[in-house]
Amino acid sequence: MPKSTHALKIALAGNPNSGKTTLFNALTGSNQFVGNWPGVTVEKKEGTLKKDSSVLVVDLPGIYSLSPYTLEEVIARNFLIEERPGGILNIIDGTNLERNLYLTTQLLELGIPVVAALNMYDSVKRHGDEIDISKLSQRLGCPVVPISALKGENTDEAINAVMKLIQSGTATKPCRFDGHIEDYITRAESLLPSGVPIGVRRFTAIKLLERDSKIGEAFSDLPDVSAIVAEMEALLGDDTESVFTNERYAFVTNNLHNAFVKSAYVSSSGKVDKILTHKVWALPIFAVIMFLVYYISVTSVGTLVTDFMNEGLFGEGFEFFGKEVPGIPVVIEEALENAEVAGWLQGLILDGIVAGVGAVLGFTPQMFILFLMLSFLEACGYMSRIAFILDKVFRRFGMSGKSFIPILIGTGCGVPGIMASRTIESQRDRRITIMTTTFIPCSAKLPIIALIAGAVFGGAWWVAPSAYFLGIFAIITSGLLLTKLKILSGEPSPFVMELPPYQLPTVKAILSATWERVWSFIKRAGSIILIATALVWFLSRFGFQQNEFVMLDEDSLDGSFLAYAGSFLAFLFKPLGFGTWQATVATLTGLIAKENVVGTLEVLYGGSFAAHFSAAAAYSFLAFNLLCAPCVAAIGAVRREMNSNKWTLIAVGYQTAFAYVCAFIIYQILCLIL
Amino acid sequence: MLEFLSDNIGTIVTGLLVLVIIIFAFREVKKGGCSEACGGDCACCKMKPTDTEE
Repeated sequence: MPKSTHALKIALAGNPNSGKTTLFNALTGSNQFVGNWPGVTVEKKEGTLKKDSSVLVVDLPGIYSLSPYTLEEVIARNFLIEERPGGILNIIDGTNLERNLYLTTQLLELGIPVVAALNMYDSVKRHGDEIDISKLSQRLGCPVVPISALKGENTDEAINAVMKLIQSGTATKPCRFDGHIEDYITRAESLLPSGVPIGVRRFTAIKLLERDSKIGEAFSDLPDVSAIVAEMEALLGDDTESVFTNERYAFVTNNLHNAFVKSAYVSSSGKVDKILTHKVWALPIFAVIMFLVYYISVTSVGTLVTDFMNEGLFGEGFEFFGKEVPGIPVVIEEALENAEVAGWLQGLILDGIVAGVGAVLGFTPQMFILFLMLSFLEACGYMSRIAFILDKVFRRFGMSGKSFIPILIGTGCGVPGIMASRTIESQRDRRITIMTTTFIPCSAKLPIIALIAGAVFGGAWWVAPSAYFLGIFAIITSGLLLTKLKILSGEPSPFVMELPPYQLPTVKAILSATWERVWSFIKRAGSIILIATALVWFLSRFGFQQNEFVMLDEDSLDGSFLAYAGSFLAFLFKPLGFGTWQATVATLTGLIAKENVVGTLEVLYGGSFAAHFSAAAAYSFLAFNLLCAPCVAAIGAVRREMNSNKWTLIAVGYQTAFAYVCAFIIYQILCLIL
Repeated sequence: MLEFLSDNIGTIVTGLLVLVIIIFAFREVKKGGCSEACGGDCACCKMKPTDTEE
């Protein structure tokens, strides 16, 4: 989006999970991912205001302060200082005023017009809390607009208030501290060079006094204020950073007096959390919930719809009100026969593209149901509790609960999951997270799970949920193994996370989040999977016979190009039980996109996949493909986030070796049992 | 030539159609993106690596 086309820039700033992205979507008509857990927005997002295309709205990552402790705070602060937006809409979670207003005290120091949008005002009223809006506005020195971003209430009024404030040219006033401290700020401010703009001189002076290590990157030739800092600390008996923190909270508390009356309401979230985050029952409850999610979506309800898709829509056909309706392949076959299309082209279309893409698309209903349930669990606030619960488990194995957020995002797609790991400050924790995130089954791996569960195990109840728990097991075991390595040893960093309140998500929000993921799956089926299956068909149907390049018939595919290539590597998978060239090729095409595994099996086996695999070999095949190196897009993301070829190789090599050992053990054990 | 075309018109038209579909599929793949149906235009794809080192 060219920035020059926008006359005005308005930044949305606020605490994590205060509803910035929901408001951003409402104001711009965007469809950015919204989650009921902190840390959804890692990078700023830009969008044009729906009702005025000359206004650019920038959604900043959630931050608690303008001190550069986290990546989010650095991104938000740099934007506000360097790009100087025309105005700031500060989103405040009305149910947690004190902590949210702490950031407001800092935003008011930037010399940029600020309007406070008091979000979740409906919840505030429901809890029986009382906020005197005009009093609060008067004391903060900036307009305060009560809104509900989720319901879209007063959102236009909030943005109008920012625009009105900008047009009026009225600058918001910074909060004032104790007289002594104000003297020190004035002294530090007077030492600043003229290059520091008037609007940010107070902010810069405070940051210098706080010994902010990164303020020097924003402005050059900043003075040495260590003498003032020493004097201040000697007089006040505390380090300057703590002094300013206390002053800010004192400002907030004083100004909330009589403007905010909290009721004795005990939130229902607290009551629910007593059970769901119980120290004994939390993990079994989580296991049961995830079992049900996978059982319902892949095995029971999902299978009914997928059977219709695979056997009806993408198969022979189905009955509709007593009338026979032919399936898509039947209709296309008839059309090709009528058009007298050459046999090889019919083969490419029917046995290659339609069979491969159809095999993948057939799993769309299962995916829809899975993501419908996962989106609900995420949006209602349960999944963020899981990060908190798993922190205790992860910590025992040398990992941090922080790793769970990327893993959670990775259930949709590994790429954003890997990218989400950048919010983890500790390099050691970040590397371990990147190396383990793709162990959790992403949407592209769901067709493999569903295929094996349905075709080989006849829809057995335990197969699909076991794939998810295998992923969790792999993550925990890897934590244990990787932290034993010298290069990744050390203590996991502490995990502090604010638990968002439980909320009943709107149907629109759930359907929107589900559709985003399902649509992505459908698009991939129509693009990369289509090309890959066409290529697999070509390479598996052509080869040399008696030194002649020929199209092979169904019984002589062993002489194809693909069979030669697959056979060359197939011996590697013999100990895992699936050492055929077809299974080898399917695994290799999975490196392009994991859905290709299913598409390739359909093209190479033509629907008789189950007949070529024993139960032990099939589960071993599933385990290997779930845990081995991810698709190229995810490997690219690993490379970008690690910023190191060596670490990318270590990650991919570790994942593949882990998958190999795991599949080997599973195969050998299942051979003994089954 | 005309005879060949009329004999194989079904194959030629279908072949061209398949070619067009494959070209469109290629264009989609080339767009890239984080695979969250974004076409390379989402915040994920615009993110740049940060404090990591070689």
